[in-house]
Amino acid sequence: MKAAPFAYVRPSTLPDAIAELASTDGGGKVIAGGQSLVPVLAMRLARPETLVDINSVAELDRIGTAGGYLEIGATVRQRRVERDPVSAAVPLLGMALPWVGHRELRSRGTVCGSLAHADPAAELPAVACCLNAELVVTGTGGARRVPAREFFSGAMTTALGPSDILTAARFPIAGRGEGFGFAEIARRHGDFALAGVAARVRVRGAETDAELTGFGVSDRPVTCSAGGELATALSECGGDVSRLASTLSGPLTAVAEELVDTDGDAHASRDYRRRLFRTLASRELSKAYERARRSAGEVNP
Amino acid sequence: MTTAPETTDPLAQKGKPRPIKAGVDDLVEVRMTVNGTPAVLSLPARVTLADALRDHLGLTGTHVGCEHGVCGMCTVLVDGQAARACLLFAVQLDGADIVTVEGLGRPDDLHPLQEAFGRNHALQCGFCTPGFLMSSYDLLSTKPEVTEDELPEELSGVICRCTGYRNILTAVRETHEAHPDGIPAPGNCAHRALVGRATGQGGGSTDGREAGEDTAAEGTRRIDIVLPDGDPTIAVDIETEIGVPVDAVWRVFDDVHLLARCLPGAELTEDLGEDHYGGRARVSVGPIKLSFKGVAHVVAHDRAGQRLRVLAQGQDTGGAQTQADIVLRTEATATGTAMRAEAKVYLTGRIAQFGRALAGDVSRRMFEQFADALREAATSGQAPSGPVKAPSALKLLFAPLIDRIRTALRRGRRTAR
Repeated sequence: MKAAPFAYVRPSTLPDAIAELASTDGGGKVIAGGQSLVPVLAMRLARPETLVDINSVAELDRIGTAGGYLEIGATVRQRRVERDPVSAAVPLLGMALPWVGHRELRSRGTVCGSLAHADPAAELPAVACCLNAELVVTGTGGARRVPAREFFSGAMTTALGPSDILTAARFPIAGRGEGFGFAEIARRHGDFALAGVAARVRVRGAETDAELTGFGVSDRPVTCSAGGELATALSECGGDVSRLASTLSGPLTAVAEELVDTDGDAHASRDYRRRLFRTLASRELSKAYERARRSAGEVNP
Repeated sequence: MTTAPETTDPLAQKGKPRPIKAGVDDLVEVRMTVNGTPAVLSLPARVTLADALRDHLGLTGTHVGCEHGVCGMCTVLVDGQAARACLLFAVQLDGADIVTVEGLGRPDDLHPLQEAFGRNHALQCGFCTPGFLMSSYDLLSTKPEVTEDELPEELSGVICRCTGYRNILTAVRETHEAHPDGIPAPGNCAHRALVGRATGQGGGSTDGREAGEDTAAEGTRRIDIVLPDGDPTIAVDIETEIGVPVDAVWRVFDDVHLLARCLPGAELTEDLGEDHYGGRARVSVGPIKLSFKGVAHVVAHDRAGQRLRVLAQGQDTGGAQTQADIVLRTEATATGTAMRAEAKVYLTGRIAQFGRALAGDVSRRMFEQFADALREAATSGQAPSGPVKAPSALKLLFAPLIDRIRTALRRGRRTAR
């Protein structure tokens, strides 16, 4: 399976890249790592007229913290994020990255590329939604920041316009009292998830917050609107972690009903995915809660 | 057309892809280092790294399976990290450093991972082996703290259809245990000639010149033959006794045309001056028939020191390339002349796919034929009747085998006693 012929442009500045993309009149596609795009090209599911390779745009190759965010440029490889100590500022990213494809794919695949590709079963869009990261979108009219929960509009569909480039992703740095959990079930490690969850819990004195995002269960990463109920269930256990599973069971059944809306496929039915989701969510919320309490100093590390 | 800035040094831009704009039908120039050798390619943008390595550089060790990133057969190292060669367009890798399974170890000095795979029967059909070797090399070199329990997950990026996973895991575990602080670097990365199967494509030699231009279609140009730095594909060191005096042997060496006619399948076509000669050589082994066109350069013709050294380079139409460094030494003996030939032969392209042991046998057989012809020429003072025939298919193929069977039988008999 070979890609159909395409024109190839490798500009060295961001304005040039946007101009090249705009000049293709919708027939262009941005390539950075290409680990999601090339299979689609090889199977000829997509036949862009022009590929705009942004790897020579120096300003997109940066990773660092600023203003409470970890900012990752468009050409930063997943494996670099995984290994860079600066990523420790966003623990959920560190938990999710080992699940993204295989090492061989993470060597080339980029964080922003995975977000822009917006596969509903992919890990990084779920992380972005769970943390409500800011996605920096640059187009002919300049740059704008789109909250992750508004960025994904459907399977492989995003807020990106035909001449927009996702130039950076900004993940909020974890504060004191925050804990995270991440897990997925796939047929083989590294494959797309049948179902997966990303969880974030914050404990501040008597107050507990929870965010839970599911992926592989709908046409986009979905974040539950019942965070309050989950937080209540978590705080009800009164620090007794062994009771968490039973207190979470009720609210999670409702959350699974709400979030898991896929019709199912050859690999797993909707009901099976709901059960997977409930089990994973219960487990990861509990872990996140424990980590949050430890981070808040309520239990000894 | 490409608008890449011209540079004389292929490594000047190393690590940084140069800006480029290419239309749908344009070829894009790519400069990368493959197994330590700088290569310059001109490719359509849609050619993957896997295809560039196999078809344009003749490195068929990188296997192609699913071509969409699932199976992992094509795993190579890109700038030191394992990556799927089928999920990368070669044009994206301008300035990159690639290591394929060919660069991992030498035939006579395998990488510890290769040794362990062989020892543990972790190869089975061998199709996934390059992928597993490169993936596990990457794992053990970048994550030396990996635990045994993590191995199955860490190696899940490559699929073995023979389901040889147990043996593969054992091989990787053993290598890890033997090298707890990190495994040795790839052992076969050096400058060498790279020539692919597609016409007009090739890896550049050190000066970035494409190998294809060395033997232009019309006529032969005198060139400086630059041998690769790496180990030769075949090393021949043979001694034979010729029943004629040293002087008579050197009379043949003095006459290059006479000497060439003693070489099996060889023919001198042009005298290019300054001890450079254009010529042809035909070799046929079984169904494989190669016709090389190339240049020979007599670098040393030292009668007093009894040493003759010739460098040769040839290329066949199919893209196979051979380079050789041949030294002939003579020494007077009671019965005539002892002649010793040392040859380092570098093969690339499809010819290099042969079993090296057999290729060595064929070379030895050719040398024996040469010695016979030399004896005849030295005795009669003229060329053997007609040019010595190209080594014939069946004879060449079977003679080494028969030799081996005889040796084996002799050994067998000895043990039987």
